[in-house]
Amino acid sequence: MEAKFNNRDPVYVQVIQHFKEQIAKGYFEPGQEIPSRRELANKLKINPNTAQRAYKEMEEQGLIFTEGNLPSRITKDDKLLKRVREELILEAVDTFVHSVRSINVPLSEVLGLVKDQYEKEMKE
Amino acid sequence: MIEVKNVTKKFGRKNVLKGVSFTAEKGEITCLIGINGVGKTTIMKAIMALTPIDGGEILIDGEKIRKESYEKITFIPDTITMPPSMKIKDAFLFMADFYGGWNQLRANELLQFFRLNENDRISELSKGNTAKVNLLLGLSLDVDYILMDEPFSGIDIFSREQIAEVFTSHLIEDRGVIITTHEINDIEHLIDKAVLIDNGVVLREFNTEEVREQEGKSVIDVMREVYKG
Repeated sequence: MEAKFNNRDPVYVQVIQHFKEQIAKGYFEPGQEIPSRRELANKLKINPNTAQRAYKEMEEQGLIFTEGNLPSRITKDDKLLKRVREELILEAVDTFVHSVRSINVPLSEVLGLVKDQYEKEMKE
Repeated sequence: MIEVKNVTKKFGRKNVLKGVSFTAEKGEITCLIGINGVGKTTIMKAIMALTPIDGGEILIDGEKIRKESYEKITFIPDTITMPPSMKIKDAFLFMADFYGGWNQLRANELLQFFRLNENDRISELSKGNTAKVNLLLGLSLDVDYILMDEPFSGIDIFSREQIAEVFTSHLIEDRGVIITTHEINDIEHLIDKAVLIDNGVVLREFNTEEVREQEGKSVIDVMREVYKG
């Protein structure tokens, strides 16, 4: 697990985003055990208090759960996991649409380019 | 918690600290930031009562520092204080003789972590490795608070990364840490609180995540505002 964080967004928010991406990618499976807060801090080279904050937030959002003294796990709630993926896709599309609209490119032209570029990258 | 309250200090006629106040919590990393000569080291020495202060007060967990406090708080200066002729293992013995809270297990663990050899003589170590031994000796004490003066200064990038890694590990555990630095880059993500100092006063004290969350600013953004604005 490698992640590069920027200096202007709260690190805990970036950690949550990172987890969501891993979930969407399928790197984390439903019910999978996740690193302890200390392990995570060490891996991502962040403050353990920040790791703690990210876990607390994710727990509140239902993304992870903890039973007793056992290690925390990714939720088994399929609907929620599906929603995480959809949310990330929508975010990416939003950003994309915003930047092509700002240079007045018609949709038809964009769609063709998107398809070509996507296929090109798949081959690489 | 370490509370520094309105501390003043003069060297001759020069006011070095002009009413410095800030707090450092246990379980958090507090970073004193400022260019050379603004009084960072003097503040550390004042907390340790290594230099007398002219006004204000400093409390550690609500108490003034006394002899017994030195088992609870330790200061790692920016240069090693062990005699250079000692081997690393001699330095261990020296520390064990002087401090009840010396933790040999942790010292061994840190030795491995930093890939140091206890049979090496301190005088023969590289600058980076000397800095690591210096840090190791302080970190191996079972104290609640650790003060580190410029732990990243003048050493290579890989040693810096290795030292930064200590902060995210169990080796710091839930202790309170105060470090001074003039280069924040390596450790922006590691610290809980920044205290910006200039010319013997605290210009701003803030929680780094709060500033990112509420103002969308990095520590360096805030520094630019405070020092140049």
